[in-house]
Amino acid sequence: MADQFIFWVAAIVAIIAAIRVVILKNAVLSVLHLIVTLIALAVLFLQLSAEFIAALQIIVYAGAIMVLFLFIVMLLNLRKDEFGRDQLPWLRLLGTLAGAAFLAELISLIGGGRVMAATVPDGFGSVRSIGIALFGEYMFPFELTSLLLVAAVLAAVVVARRKSSNEVDAAPPAGSEGEA
Amino acid sequence: MTPFNLTQFYADWATILPECFLLLWACVITGAAVLGRTDESKSGTFAIWTIIGTLATAVWVAVTQDGAAFGGTFVFDRLAVVFKEVILAGVILTAAASVGTVSRLRAHRGEYYGMILFSAVGMMLMVSATELLTLYIALELSTVTLFVLAAYHKTNRKSAEAGLKYVILGGISSAILLYGVAILYGLTGTTELARISQGIQRQFMASGSFPPGLALALLLILAGFGFKLALAPFHMWAPDVYEGAPTPITAFLSVASKAAALAAFLRVFFVGGQPAQLIWIQAIAALAALAMIVGNATAIVQTNIKRMLAYSSVAQIGYMLVGAVALDPWGATSISYYAMAYLFANMGAFVCVIAFAERTGSEEISDFSGLSRRSPILAGFFALFLLSLAGVPPTAGFLAKYYVFAAAIQKGYLWLVLVGVATSVVALYYYATVIMKMYFPAEQTEGGFPVARTLTIVLAVSALGVLLLGILPGPVVDWIKAAAQSFVPPT
Amino acid sequence: MLELDKLVKLVGDGIEAVVTALGLGPTWVTLVQLIVAALVVVVFAALVVLFLVWWERKVSARFQMRLGPMRVGWHGTIQTIADALKLLQKELITPANVDRGIYFWAPVVTFVAAMAVYVTVPFGKGLIVRDLNIGILYILSITTFTVIGLLMAGWSSNNKYALLGGFRSAAQVVSYEVPMALAIVAVVMLTQTLSMGEIVSQQAKFYQWYIWRQPLGFLIYLVAATAECNRTPFDLPEADSELVAGFVTEYSGMKFAMFFLAEFLNMFTVAAIATTLFFGGWNGPFLPSWMWFLIKTLAGVFVLMWFRWTYPRLRVDQLMSFAWKFLLPLAFINIVLTGLGIYIFRP
Repeated sequence: MADQFIFWVAAIVAIIAAIRVVILKNAVLSVLHLIVTLIALAVLFLQLSAEFIAALQIIVYAGAIMVLFLFIVMLLNLRKDEFGRDQLPWLRLLGTLAGAAFLAELISLIGGGRVMAATVPDGFGSVRSIGIALFGEYMFPFELTSLLLVAAVLAAVVVARRKSSNEVDAAPPAGSEGEA
Repeated sequence: MTPFNLTQFYADWATILPECFLLLWACVITGAAVLGRTDESKSGTFAIWTIIGTLATAVWVAVTQDGAAFGGTFVFDRLAVVFKEVILAGVILTAAASVGTVSRLRAHRGEYYGMILFSAVGMMLMVSATELLTLYIALELSTVTLFVLAAYHKTNRKSAEAGLKYVILGGISSAILLYGVAILYGLTGTTELARISQGIQRQFMASGSFPPGLALALLLILAGFGFKLALAPFHMWAPDVYEGAPTPITAFLSVASKAAALAAFLRVFFVGGQPAQLIWIQAIAALAALAMIVGNATAIVQTNIKRMLAYSSVAQIGYMLVGAVALDPWGATSISYYAMAYLFANMGAFVCVIAFAERTGSEEISDFSGLSRRSPILAGFFALFLLSLAGVPPTAGFLAKYYVFAAAIQKGYLWLVLVGVATSVVALYYYATVIMKMYFPAEQTEGGFPVARTLTIVLAVSALGVLLLGILPGPVVDWIKAAAQSFVPPT
Repeated sequence: MLELDKLVKLVGDGIEAVVTALGLGPTWVTLVQLIVAALVVVVFAALVVLFLVWWERKVSARFQMRLGPMRVGWHGTIQTIADALKLLQKELITPANVDRGIYFWAPVVTFVAAMAVYVTVPFGKGLIVRDLNIGILYILSITTFTVIGLLMAGWSSNNKYALLGGFRSAAQVVSYEVPMALAIVAVVMLTQTLSMGEIVSQQAKFYQWYIWRQPLGFLIYLVAATAECNRTPFDLPEADSELVAGFVTEYSGMKFAMFFLAEFLNMFTVAAIATTLFFGGWNGPFLPSWMWFLIKTLAGVFVLMWFRWTYPRLRVDQLMSFAWKFLLPLAFINIVLTGLGIYIFRP
C-alpha cells in the first residue's frame, strides 16, 4: 500500500512537472520543473529496486547537467518580450495531437495485458550487477561512449575557442569570407 | 560471464583495427591542430593518407579476420566491408574537395580534418554495429562532429543557423530513435539485432500476433532513421543545413553520413525487424513514395543549387528505399548499389558547386548559365553527374534505378515503381534545366576560369566511378550481392 | 558504557507496540519510526549548529588573540541561542523585484538538502537512520541539491551581488564535486561497498583506518570538501568584501537562518563523511561510540576553522584551474595507484 502511494505521488508529480516544463514561459522555472521531474523519476527507479541508477540519475542530471542548464539559462536571462511572436501556432496543436496519440498508444500497450510483472533476480540493480553488465556484455558500447565524449569535447573546443592572436593578425580583412 | 580469453581478446581488437587506426590519426591531427604544433596546410594531406591507410587496414582485416567481435556487438562482415569502403571513398573525396575551402578559413584549419576523421570513425563503427546500443553511440559519434562542421563558418549567419538546426533536429531524432530502441528492449529483453529477431518470432509463434507496442517501436526507430537519412516527411532540416554548411561538408553529409545511416537501417530492419515485416514494409513503401514526390516536386522551384541538390537527395533516398520493400538479398543489393552510384554522382555534383563557387562566389542556378563557354570541363562534369542523378544511361544512376525498381516489381509493388518512374521524369526536368542553362544560355556571359587541380582530380575520380559503375557493373554487383546474401536471413 | 543502541532499540520497539496496539499495519510502524528518527536528527542538527556557531566564534577569536563572546552564559555559551531568538523575531522582508516562487523555495531546497544527508550518517553503534546500500552515493547525490538552492537564491534575488555569488558558488561546487567524488571512489574501491555502516565496521582497528591506505585520497577530499562548504580559502561565493553577502544578500530573518543552518550543517557533514570514510567512523576504545564519532568529526570541523585563519582567499581563476588542472588529475592518479595497489596486494 505504501508502495502504491509513493508510486502515485511520484508519478503524478513527474507528469505535472513535465507538463509545466513545456508550458511555462519562464525558462528558469522550466528548468527547475525539469529537475523536479528528474527527482520524481529517481523515486520511481528506487521503487523498481534500481537504487544505483536512481542515485546516478540525481548526481548526473540534477547535480551536473541541470546545474549547467540553469547556469546557461540564467546567464541568457531571456525575458518574455525576447521570444517574439509565436510563428507557427498550429505546431502547438499538432504537438498536442501527436502527444495524445502517443499517450493513447502507450495506454493501449500497457492496458493490453500482455505486459506482465517479472520477478527480479537476486542483486538486481546493485552496483555489482550493473558493473558486470557494463564491463561484460556491454563492454564495447561502454568503451565507445568514452570515444563519443572525447569527440564531443573536441568539437566543443573547436566551436568555442577564440582565435589566437597570431591568427587574427594573419587574417584577411573582415568580410572577405563567410560574411556573405 | 565468460572467462577472459586472450586469443579472443586479440581477435576482437584486430577486427576493429581500421577504426583504431583512423581514430589514432584523428586524435593526432586534431591534437596537433589544437596545440598549434603543425603547419595546418599539411593536415589535409595527412588526413587523406590516414584514410588510405585505413582502407588498407580494412582490406587486411577483411581478408584475415572474419565474423563477430565483442560478444556479437560488432561484426566485420561483407556488408560492413562494402559500406566501409563507400564511406571511406566519400571521406577521401570530401577531404580532397575541402582543400580550397579550408585554405580560406581564418582559424581551426587542422581541426577541420580531425573532425571529419572522427565522424568517419563513427560511421565505420555504425555500419558494423549489430547491437542497438553500439549502433546508437556510433551514430552519435558520427553526428556530434558533423554539428560543428556544419557550423564551421561560425561568423556566417547561415552556417551558424545550419549548425544549430542540425543540433536541435539531430537531438530530437536521437531521442525518438532511443525511445523506439527502449520499447524494443522492453519487448524482447535484448539489444542484439539477431536476438531481437528471434524474440519477435518466438512471441509471434506463441500468440499468433505481434507483441503490442512493436509497431510503435519500429515506427519510432523508422522516424529516427528518417531524420538521419533526410527522408520525407523528416527532411525539413536538410535544405537549410545543406545550404548553410560549407559545401564539402554538405557533400559529406549527403553522401557518407547517409551511406552509414543506410547500412544501419538495413541491419536494423532486414535483420532485427525481419519477422515483423508486415508492420513496417507498408510504412516504408509509403515513406519512399512520399520522399520521391516531395523531394522532386520541391526541387523544381529552387533557385539555389545547393538547395536543389538537397531536395534532390531527399528524393534519391526515396528511390533507395524502394529497394527496401523487397526484403530479400536482391533488395539489399540494389540499395547498396544505389548508394554507391549516388556516392559518386552526388559527391561529384557538389564538388562542381564548390569549383564554381570558388571562382564566382555564387551558388545560384541562374549564374550557371553559359558555363559551357566559361569552363567546358566543369560544365561537362556537372552535366554527367546530373544525368547520373537523373538516371540516364549509360551512367550508374540508370542501373541503380533499374535495380531498385526491378527488386520492387518482383515483390509486386508496381504502384511504387510507377510513382518512381513518374517522379524520375519530373527529376529529369529540373536536372535538364540546369544542363540546358549551362549549354544554351539566354545571353552570353564572359570570363573563363580554370578549376583547381585537386578538385579536378576529385571530379575525374567521381566521373570515372559514375561511368565504370554504369558500363561495367558486373564485378561490383557480384561483390555486393555476395555481401547481401551473407547478411539477409533467408525468407 | 553509555552506548545508545539499546535505547534506540527500546524506543523503536515501543513505537511498534503502540502503533500495533492502535490497530495499524507494519507500514505505519516504519512510518512513525522514521518520523521520530527524523525529528531526533533535526533536533540534533539544530543543537550541532548552535554549538558550531559559538565554537567558530570562539576559535576565531582565539586565533586573533581575542576572547570572543563572553557575556551571555558561561564563556558566552548561550550567546548563539540569544542570537537565534533575535533572528527569529526579525521581520521577513521580501524585496519588491524578486521572483517570488523561486525566492521562497531556495532556502527550503538548500536546507532540506543539508538535512537529508543525515539519513545515512552512522552517528554511533546502531545510530543510523537507514543504512542504505548506496549510502555514500546517496550522500553525494543529495548534496548536489545545495547548488541548485544557491543558484535559485542568487537568480531570484534580482541583485547583481546575489547573482554573482550564486554563479560563483555553483561553478565552484560543481567543479570540486568531481575530485571529491573521485577521491571517494578510490576509498570505495577498497571497501567494496557503498554502505556507510559496512565501511565503518571494516575499520574496527586503528590500523585499519582507510587514511593509512588513502592518504592522497584524504588530502584531495579535504581540499575539495572545504571548497564544497564554501569555506575560506574557497569562500568566493560570499566574499563579504566583494559581494556583500553573496547569494544571501537579499534574505533576512528566518530564511537567512535557513541558509546559515545549512552552511554549518554542511561543514559538519563533510567532517562526518571524512570520519566515516577515513578515520574509522565511531570505532574507538573506552568511550561510547557516539562520543568517538563526535570527537573525530568536531576535530575535522576544527581543521576547517583553522584553514579559515591560515590561508588567504583565492581568485576565481585560480580556484577553477586548481580544481580542474591540479586536483582532478591528482584524483585520477590516486585511482590508478589504488587500482595498482589492489592488484599487487591481491590475496
